[in-house]
Amino acid sequence: MLIELLTKRYPGMRAWLTQRLSALVMAVYSVFAVARFLIVQPNSYEAWVDFFQPLWWRIATLLFWISLCIHAWLGIRDVFKDYVPNPSVRDVLDKLLVVSLWVYLVWATWLLLG
Amino acid sequence: MQKDSQKTKLRPGQLSRPKNLNLFTIRLPINALVSILHRATGCVLFLILPVILLLLQFSLSSAQHYETVIAILHSPFIKLMLLGLAWAFFHHFFAGIRHLAMDVHWMTTLMKARYTSKVVLVLGVLATLVLAVKIWM
Repeated sequence: MLIELLTKRYPGMRAWLTQRLSALVMAVYSVFAVARFLIVQPNSYEAWVDFFQPLWWRIATLLFWISLCIHAWLGIRDVFKDYVPNPSVRDVLDKLLVVSLWVYLVWATWLLLG
Repeated sequence: MQKDSQKTKLRPGQLSRPKNLNLFTIRLPINALVSILHRATGCVLFLILPVILLLLQFSLSSAQHYETVIAILHSPFIKLMLLGLAWAFFHHFFAGIRHLAMDVHWMTTLMKARYTSKVVLVLGVLATLVLAVKIWM
């Protein structure tokens, strides 16, 4: 049932669930990141670099960032759908949105794993 | 009705309804307020993404750059902006949790939704205040 709803026949349903799953990933990471920041308390440059040193943390952060890009894409796209009635203008904005999010994603990946 | 439609020259099938588009006369219910703030804060958070990446990259690149970033973050004006952005994050976070709760049919009656709206607004401001105390003490 759930699998069937998520196929290409129901793209709205898929977007809806993707929006929520990416939100969950970000929520869990955010709580974890704040807690880790409060425990480790990186107060110097060395401590700050150490904070981002563990591979598991880099991967978790990248997962957060991927979720964020997907979440922002769906969210801002909905905002454009609601407030930009002109289809050609909206098309340009949608493309700008996708390009900027890809740039952020590549940038973050390079920062965290490069 | 007949007279009215003749007076304003309505097309056939079009209803004559009173129009009120003055937004200042419309009181936003608290649920709508939380909802529109969720959208607005989402847009703000999207717009600051490049700044976050820039600060992260700069602060990790060298000890000197790290000190520069710290100095920037310590200026009072930036601190105020930071608090505004922090509120945007907290509000989006708590309002998002509320939406997820409603997706699993929790707290969906009007009274409960109004109550959780207040909780979301209070939690957002409270978290921002805690951060304000943290960064000014």
